[in-house]
Order: sequence, then structure tokens, then C-alpha cells
Amino acid sequence: MGETPAPDDRRRGAAPFFLIYLAREMQRRKRQALLVAVGLAVGIGLAVTVTAASAGVTNAEGAALHSLYGIGNDVTVTKAAPAPNPGSPARTGSSGSAKFGFSPGKTPQHEDLLGYPPGLGVLDASSVASISRLHDVAAAAGVLTLTDTKLTVPSLSQLGPQGQPPPGAVTPTTFSVDGVDLAHLGLGPLASAKISSGRSSAMSDATSDVAVVDSGYATANKLIVGSTITIAHIPFKVVGVVRQPQGASAADVYIPLGRAQALAASPEVSNSAGKVDTIYVAAASAADIPAVQKEIARLIPSATVTSSGNLASDVSGSLASAASLATDLGRWLAIAVLIAAFAIASLLTMAAVARRVREFGTLKALGWRSRRIIAQIMGESAVIGVIGAVMGIALGFGGAALVDAIAPKLTATVAQNPGSAPAQDIGVGASGFHHSIAPGAEHTVAVHMSAPVTVTAIALAVVLAIAGALIAGSFGGWRASRLRPAEALAQVE
Amino acid sequence: MYTLSDVTKNYRKGDYTVVALGGLDLSIEDGEWLAIQGRTGSGKTTLLQMLGAMDRPSAGAVRFSGRDLAGLPEAELTEVRAASIGFVFQTFNLIPTLSAIENVETALVPLRIPAAKRRARAAQALADVGLSDRAQHLPSELSGGQQQRVGIARALVKEPKVLLADEPTGNLDVDTRDEIMSLLEKLWREHGLTLVLVTHDTSIAERAQRVGVMKDGRLFTGAEPDDAS
Repeated sequence: MGETPAPDDRRRGAAPFFLIYLAREMQRRKRQALLVAVGLAVGIGLAVTVTAASAGVTNAEGAALHSLYGIGNDVTVTKAAPAPNPGSPARTGSSGSAKFGFSPGKTPQHEDLLGYPPGLGVLDASSVASISRLHDVAAAAGVLTLTDTKLTVPSLSQLGPQGQPPPGAVTPTTFSVDGVDLAHLGLGPLASAKISSGRSSAMSDATSDVAVVDSGYATANKLIVGSTITIAHIPFKVVGVVRQPQGASAADVYIPLGRAQALAASPEVSNSAGKVDTIYVAAASAADIPAVQKEIARLIPSATVTSSGNLASDVSGSLASAASLATDLGRWLAIAVLIAAFAIASLLTMAAVARRVREFGTLKALGWRSRRIIAQIMGESAVIGVIGAVMGIALGFGGAALVDAIAPKLTATVAQNPGSAPAQDIGVGASGFHHSIAPGAEHTVAVHMSAPVTVTAIALAVVLAIAGALIAGSFGGWRASRLRPAEALAQVE
Repeated sequence: MYTLSDVTKNYRKGDYTVVALGGLDLSIEDGEWLAIQGRTGSGKTTLLQMLGAMDRPSAGAVRFSGRDLAGLPEAELTEVRAASIGFVFQTFNLIPTLSAIENVETALVPLRIPAAKRRARAAQALADVGLSDRAQHLPSELSGGQQQRVGIARALVKEPKVLLADEPTGNLDVDTRDEIMSLLEKLWREHGLTLVLVTHDTSIAERAQRVGVMKDGRLFTGAEPDDAS
């Protein structure tokens, strides 16, 4: 009689044989399994990285559009500036082609102008009221966007023989000033700002000389709550410091709209009272935005009416290029790498099946059906797929972190008002000296691009890896199913 | 047990046809031990594959327990192999990643025996061939003789009607050869098996009840055992 089997051998291995065979195969053919898993992981990792980069670019686009456009703001109404009139008198009544002209006197003159930036025309404040009464409009607020320019006009004794000022004598300093509607601070330039010290402006400040300054400008100019800044020769008390979101189109200083209207000066605008240059409009709902645009265009035919959707198509710069790259090249690159990874996994799996021809032929000789052998191969492939998915996700996180670390700041540029008028000049005396104080008619924001790995990307990675492994397994299984036991056993290694 | 009538098997090799079996007739009784000798390429392994339902003849009938294997669909042939036929290979053909006991279990998997019972039967089969203490060893950790014992255990664990052995001692040394043949003989007697054994070795063939010699695709039985190598 034979020996008595050890009790341990009877108890062990009560698990389904499928799992036992699968576990043994994974344990003892680690290197081969890892090779296929790594191939899948590289493809998956790249797909996750590209997906994360695309998501990052989309987020950056959104942030840039918010910055360029303003949070809470659905429609913006502006007006193109009229063509410049060289003959119009400047504030101090100069001659020639200068917009603002100053005649030197016996002593140096310290000038402080609050002027309009080029490109934007003005709208009546009554337009704000008309727009706010439209059916699908939730709120409307007018803003006056200005530039404060300080310069020192040299005295006559300081001018040169031909009447030219000394080199560097006329160098203006500027900062931007927004006159904001205190009744609608949630709409417009301060909508997304956060107070970092002091307080925001209030309705009670409407006629007061108080200002809220941007945190970057405050730091650069050592301003704190209680400091004084001069705008158009008027001292304004700083009551608050605000921080704008990254890349937001922030002014340096915010003052009540009424004060800005009273102090603004322009050769083209004789009286700024009741004037605004931008109207921010909030629609009743997102679905109403197109209707609101049409209604405003009918109400003010000469106005330029844009929504964030219109702005998106006008955005240029490296952000737009990155978006295009991520969408087109990134998507096709990810698809190409995935196909290559699946193909390599399939070839390696078929090669592994080829090496196991005798093994599968033996199992068939023992009475194993083809579908049981195929199920075994598919099970091994699924495990490899899961391992590949985990490694691929890790690689994807690594790739996304690398993008975060090395991605340059992306810029988005939009024309503030297409077809804007040329820059304003300062002329000094009759010397013909001109100095342009105007910035360009474009607005640029910079945003840092990050590459977030979303739950969707992770789920996609898992699905792709397992699908890729099963595709590879199906090729191997097909090959195994065609084996006839006699032929398989006839192959001598 | 078996009745083979005018069995022919041809293989195409490029432009010409190889006749492995040419009109072979054979009867094998229940419980009989038949040894088949013949030169290399005489068709011994092909005949064994016909008997083992691993291949179909090009012509003729292969009756096993009254059923013509040549006419059965693939699924039924697989079931016949699973339930009724044990096969011992010259090169052992153990699954390299499975332990000895797991290799024996592979023969019981198609029969859908519950896992605990399957493991118990496999353990008993290994005990019957004297390898209880090697149950957890991989094939690479076993000697040639031990691997063939595992192969025999695997063939017999399902309690088949017939055991087919293709040169079971072909890869073993003389001492181990005797050991394996003694084991096979013992198990043949104990289990009342029908045993068909292919061998080059006349001394092994002489242990059988009947010896057949393959020549030119036909089997001649009743002849004196002859070393055909």
C-alpha cells in the first residue's frame, strides 16, 4: 500500500485551482509579467500625464478668462474710443499736435493727471441704469478705468538752448486707478478680491477721498492702511489693502466712482461727470447670456458687447498655444503611445504563450478545455493589467509633478478694445519733445500652469491598463485555443 | 476496451504526404498490458495519440468502450481524455510553476471535483507513488525519477480506464528505469488498468502481456519482443 498523505497537504489549496495556478504563474514568472506591466505602465503614465497637463491648461484658461473677464461677470459693455482730435485743446491749453501740453514757467511744475487709457471710449452712466432694467439682467455696474500720471515739468532756466528739457528730466510715473460702483462691489474689478488688511469701500465712502490699494502695489510703494496717496493732486486715505487672484487684471488703486468721474481729465472728454468706460453685467442665469448680449446691442448700438465665450476666442499668447498643443498633439501622442503599449503587451503575451505551448498541450491532453486555458491566460493578463495600472498611475503622478515643477508661466493676451486709438502724448513747451505715457491696447495676464491628476484620469488609467492587458491576453488565448494536443506535444524544445 | 479498424493517419510535409499509420487494425482487451515497439518514426507515438483521443485518424475507426473516437466532436473527445484516459509522457511534461501535488491536481480540475477532495486525492496519489514528502516541491527540485512518479500519479489520480505511457523510462537511468517499471506494474495489477506502453527497450517490453511491433505504419502483434532501436 502507499504512504499515508500528510494532513497539511489535504487542507492546503482548498482555493479554486484557477487562483492557485494564477498565483504560481505570477510568483515564478515575475520578470516576464513585470516586463509586460512596465510596457503598459509607460503608455498609461504618459496618457495620465497628458490628461493632467490638458486639465491644467484648461484650468489655466479658465483662470485667465476669469482674470481677464472678472468673476461673476457675464457680459462686458465697452465702446471704442473715437479717432484722436489733434486740434482739441489740452487741459492747460497748449498748441501743436500734443494731447497734453505744458508750458514751462519760472519754477518747476509738478503735474498730476488722472487720464483715460487709450482705446476705451466712454458711456453715460444712464446706460448702466438702462441695462440693469433689462429683463434677463440681474445687475449692472459701471467702472471708470483711469491712469494717474505724475511728472515734473522743468523750469525755463532748466531747458536747453533749443528749448529741450534736460535728459531724464521729464520721466512720468504712473499707476492705474479704477473708479468702482460702491453699490455693486460684487460685480466688476473687486468681485474676486480679498481684503488682506483694513476694510473694503462702503456706500458711505461715495463722496469721500478714500482708496483701497492692491497688495502688490502697496508692498512696492510701502503703503499700509492709513497711508496717503495723491491722485490728481488730491490726497486719498488708504482704508484697505486687497489681494487679487493670480493673474487677475488688477488696478493699483480703487476709489469711489463719483470721485474718479470728478477728477478724470481728457482732451477728448470735456466733462467726465456721469461717465463710465466699462459696464459689467450679470445675467439672471447662464442660459440668458446670449439674450442679454442681444438686448444690450439693441439698446446701445455703438457699444461693443462681449461675453466670456467671445473673449475666449480672442485670447492669444502662450496659453492659447499650450491649449492647442495639449488638445491636438497631446491627445494624439497619448493615443499613439497607448496603441504602441497595447501592441507590445500583445506581442509579449503571445510570445509567452508560445513558450508555454507544451504546457498548454499537456493540459489539453489531461482534458482541459480551451476555454479554461483561455480563462487562465486572461486572468494572468488582468493581474498584469492591474499592476500596470498602479505603476502607470504612479508614473502619471510623477509626470504631472514634473510638469508642475518645470512648466513656465503661461500668458494670455487679449486686445482690450480692438481698433483702439493711438497712445496719448505729453508735450513740453514748443520744443517738440514728446513722451508717450500710454501702454499698449492689449491686456495680458500670466498664470502658472499646474497638472492636476483627477479621479477621472485615474479611473481611465485603470480601465485602459486592464483593457490593454485583456486585449493582449485575448491574442494569447486565441493562439492557445488553436493548439491541438498532439501538435503541441510534438514540439520538442 | 479498444478496437481499431483500418486506421490511417497521413501528414502533409510540404509537397509530399507522410503515412504515419497505414490501415492499422488492433484490439485491446480490458485489463490487458500491451507493449508497442518499433524504430523511430514507425508511428508508435501517433498510434498512442489515436488511442489517447488526442488526434483523429485520416481514415478508419477508433472504438473506445464502444464509441468511435474519430467521429466525436472536440468537446466530447476532451471529456473522454479528462475522465477515462491517463497519459504518461517521456519528458514528464510537468507544469514548471506548480508543485508536485498541484501538478497531480491538474488532472482532476476538468472533473470539477471540490477543492478539498481534489487536494486529498492528489495527496493520496502522491503517497501511492512514494512521494508524500515531496508534495510541495517544484519539478525543478525533483530528480528525473521523482518527476516521472509525479507524472504517473497525475495519470492515475482520476482512476482512468486506460493508462497510456509513451516511453515512460526513456529519459531515465537504468536503476530508475527499473524502479518506474516496477511501480507501473504494481499499479497496473492493483488498479486493474488497461496499460498500453510504447518503448524502445526490449527488456521493458518483455514485462508486458503482449508485445506489438510497429513497422511501416502497421502493428504486428504476437511477434517475439525485438529490440527495434
